[in-house]
Amino acid sequence: MSLSTLRRIGYMVLIPTLAVFSALLLGAIVMWIFGDDPLAAYRGLWTGAFGSPRAWSTTIRKMTPLILTGLSVAVAFKAGLFNIGASGQFLIGSVCSVAVGVNFEGLPAFVHLPLALLAGVAGGVAWGFIPGVLKVFTGAHEVIVTIMLNYVASLFAAWTVYAGGTQGQTPGPLWDRTAGAISRTPEVFMSARLPWIVPEPYRIHWGVAIALLMALIMWWIIFKTTLGFSTRTVGANSKAARYAGINVRWITILTMMIAGGLAGMAGAIETLGLNHRFAPEFTGGVGFQGITVALLGQTNPIGVVLAAFLLGALEAGAARMQFDSGVAADIIQVIQALVLAFVAAPLIIRQIYRIRKPSDQIEATVVSTGWGR
Amino acid sequence: MSNKGVTVLLSMVLVLALLLSACTVAAPAGAPAAQTQPPAAEAAPSIKIGLVTDVGRVNDRSFNQSAWEGVVQAAQQLGLKEGEDYKYIETQDSKDYADNIQQFIDAGFNVIVTVGFALGEATIAAAKENPDIYFIGVDQFQTEVLPNLTGLVFHEDQSGFLAGALAAQLSKTGIIAAVLGTDLVPPVVAFKEGYEAGARYINPDIRIISTYHPGEIAQAFTDPEWGAATAKQALDQGADVIFGAGGITGNGALQEVASAPGAGTDVFCIGVDTDQWETLPAARPCLVSSAMKMITPSVTELILKYANEGVMTAGNYFGGAALAPFHDFEDKIPQEVKDKLAEIAAALEDGSLSTGYGQ
Amino acid sequence: MQRTLRVTSYIAIALVVFFVLMAFLVNLTPLSENTWLRVFFSVSALNFTLRASVPLILGALCGILCERTGIINIGIEGMMLAGAFAAFVAKTSTNHWPLMPSLLFGVAIALLVGGLMGLLHAIFSIRYRMDQIISGTVLIILAGGVSAYLFDRNAVAQGKFGAVAIPGLSQIPVLGEVLFTNPPLTYTALILVVVIHIGLFYTRWGLRSRACGEHPRAADTVGVNVNRFRYMNTVLGGMLAGLAGGFLVLEAVGQFQEGMTAGRGFISLAAMIFGNWMPFGAMGAALLFGYTQALQNELLLAGVTTVPRQFVSMIPYVVTIVAVSGFVGRVRPPAAEGKVYETEGESE
Repeated sequence: MSLSTLRRIGYMVLIPTLAVFSALLLGAIVMWIFGDDPLAAYRGLWTGAFGSPRAWSTTIRKMTPLILTGLSVAVAFKAGLFNIGASGQFLIGSVCSVAVGVNFEGLPAFVHLPLALLAGVAGGVAWGFIPGVLKVFTGAHEVIVTIMLNYVASLFAAWTVYAGGTQGQTPGPLWDRTAGAISRTPEVFMSARLPWIVPEPYRIHWGVAIALLMALIMWWIIFKTTLGFSTRTVGANSKAARYAGINVRWITILTMMIAGGLAGMAGAIETLGLNHRFAPEFTGGVGFQGITVALLGQTNPIGVVLAAFLLGALEAGAARMQFDSGVAADIIQVIQALVLAFVAAPLIIRQIYRIRKPSDQIEATVVSTGWGR
Repeated sequence: MSNKGVTVLLSMVLVLALLLSACTVAAPAGAPAAQTQPPAAEAAPSIKIGLVTDVGRVNDRSFNQSAWEGVVQAAQQLGLKEGEDYKYIETQDSKDYADNIQQFIDAGFNVIVTVGFALGEATIAAAKENPDIYFIGVDQFQTEVLPNLTGLVFHEDQSGFLAGALAAQLSKTGIIAAVLGTDLVPPVVAFKEGYEAGARYINPDIRIISTYHPGEIAQAFTDPEWGAATAKQALDQGADVIFGAGGITGNGALQEVASAPGAGTDVFCIGVDTDQWETLPAARPCLVSSAMKMITPSVTELILKYANEGVMTAGNYFGGAALAPFHDFEDKIPQEVKDKLAEIAAALEDGSLSTGYGQ
Repeated sequence: MQRTLRVTSYIAIALVVFFVLMAFLVNLTPLSENTWLRVFFSVSALNFTLRASVPLILGALCGILCERTGIINIGIEGMMLAGAFAAFVAKTSTNHWPLMPSLLFGVAIALLVGGLMGLLHAIFSIRYRMDQIISGTVLIILAGGVSAYLFDRNAVAQGKFGAVAIPGLSQIPVLGEVLFTNPPLTYTALILVVVIHIGLFYTRWGLRSRACGEHPRAADTVGVNVNRFRYMNTVLGGMLAGLAGGFLVLEAVGQFQEGMTAGRGFISLAAMIFGNWMPFGAMGAALLFGYTQALQNELLLAGVTTVPRQFVSMIPYVVTIVAVSGFVGRVRPPAAEGKVYETEGESE
């Protein structure tokens, strides 16, 4: 390994580290200005994220869906598509997995669980297929369509568990008949639940392993297969890809389906592993956070895992931080934004800390190619 | 160039300062939980009260706030110290309910109040696991009785019925409206059904236009612009009494009516949950009353009962539900309207009149 | 391209005429007895449409200004929220002033903070070459976090803008009530559509701005300072988004609420794309969206349907999807969008 390679790797580690550090520092200054105690806050944050086995388990639990929704957004970026729709795909995935999970009593677990997971993935795939196909055949922009489908998904999900309105509407198909006026599904059968790796009170389920595995698989697909190469070519320059004989339409649709499937899987895993049912108060918030994760991870699957870990830890520590120090948990969001800004603009970090760029090959992340094609 | 130098210098100083301070706190940071907890727990069995909000804020001018005020009043009577003996956690995401409750359990709190129907399941689970801790679940109807869990519930349909009766008597156009949170939450449905039944009880031909927030549950109670725009829409359609029932969404509706032409003379509004005359002064120009549920006194009462007598109230506890005072409208509301409302309240109380909800 | 544009304009004009006609008929004749016609054409539905559209129009104009000069702006939501919060802080801290100055001060601060958000976006994407989608995302998260962290929930803003009837015009039946009896920021938004259309297509500033977005190299060759235009227009755009936030707080609600923009920035983005980066197109898209929202509410208020309300609530979103995939066809964004522009020989 040559010296310059070492320096490049050092640079690639240094910049994100300094970015996180600077964001925490700036966050501390903000807290200090507004009369909060930043040290107490960060101590609480650390305790809540890593201070005990339970804290670690919370971090892992928060990280799991973020890996998958982050991958979903990242994969789409690779093909030059902006998938704002991960939250809708997540919800559809949840609902579809519950639909299988609350039916088919008596199936053995090794059939029921994969079936429920697959249903979730299929739901997500379908929800990603729509914007893909509309983009290819009608030119409808995927940003508009995915945003709109998020709303449709949340309404659809709410309807499936709807206890029935007051104007004589029929209740939704998944509504738990024993719940009276409460809108929610029954719990999924034991045979459809993801087993615990570490049981109560830590509540770590096998979903985290699935998510990590998916990150590896996606890394392999993107960087080691022809499909991945085609996808990246389409993302870099769709015109050139067309001349090179790549079927751009097919790649666009397929990428959106994969992206949808990943987000749908996130929904299925959260539901089958953790909540065991669907209720309208479950939102697709992690889908929107997936955008941050993907950007923070520079759309690289391994980077996505690290970014999801960081965000998961911040989310996990937030409650403890507020509990111990009284600092409003919203400051976490400010810190997230700052981390993202610093990672995405290494120039800022380089200027502050006077770091020289090792070579011209490393530039700021570019994920978007504009609205055009 | 020198400008850049200053920036760098400044940031270096800050970095150094942070590093230094980080070093000094590094030692105790390892065991903060152990540090705070044991002395309190080992001392005489004192009361420590924790409150977990529903997604939202503790001072939301709505049910989170009412419950917290109940905690505060109880704590003050017991001479507790805020931040140590009683505190709250604001829930950021519905997935965190269980974690937030656990936060209090870990810290040795022995009375835990959870606010909102959505926390019901997490509360039941925690109560089963921790039989020594007393739980109060606001708006959580219990179908099975746990010895250490009180489901604090209300007859929202009854105060809604009174609000509807009041609205129907005030209306000159024969059209009244309701701008509501979401029908995914049973108490809101109860308010609506009661309101409509009450209005029809006074005037069977009255036109009632009402709608729930169209969006997801996380947004349904925090979308004041939808509430305001919908209230305007109802006014445009000729409604002259508007019932705003849905947290901040409903507040938006009340304020819209308050700033409409003719507020307080031709058009009126009715608040919800607490006496909104106190919590939402901006609505005063039109606010004739509020369909209350007495969360604050009920929470206080339940906590004091446990603190003073050691009694955990099991099963469901029905808190009071009534109309708030008329305040400045006291003189403007005809005596016969007041008499009629008193008559209905009495009839609802003794069961000779039913709201028809939940049958 | 030209032909599609002409066809779209004809359709738009026909729709407007149809709506005005039906509005007169339904609100002034016995046709008002019909519940379904009331749902579609009543004054209350039209008022709701305009009101729901105003922040979307302003947001879309913000997007147009930025993107026409080549800066992608998905951060409209964040700029709007920052403007709303700023307006609220300004209003609550001047509650003791007379109402009008206090409200106008709120508007000024909303414009200022919106402009600052625009400046931040420009600095990120031009000075620091940050990917513009990331920069927009940063703005959204930052505005959400900061406004929630600093929001004093005990603060109460007193008073908001009321409707101003335009003398004469407001006497016209139906139309007067819908178009000429509105609060000031609503008029402002409608006027801005015209101003920006004229600015973009009939002035030197507009020509140069568009050149920066279409072909910056060429613009540079003829002496246009590309990055200066990009800075300027992004700041102007930010001010418009800030104004949209100011509308929500000072005119629509009267208070602030965390996350109160509730996705309006994203829908503005959709309106901008749907309207093909043209001010009038975006306004049309915003009005369409506002109308479908009004329709959904009217249907639920009238209680005329037993379809589960969730499906009724899907109307605005489904209509938008159908519209973008149906008759808009392929829209064409400015060509040089999202690309950092460096003058010849400039490098780090």
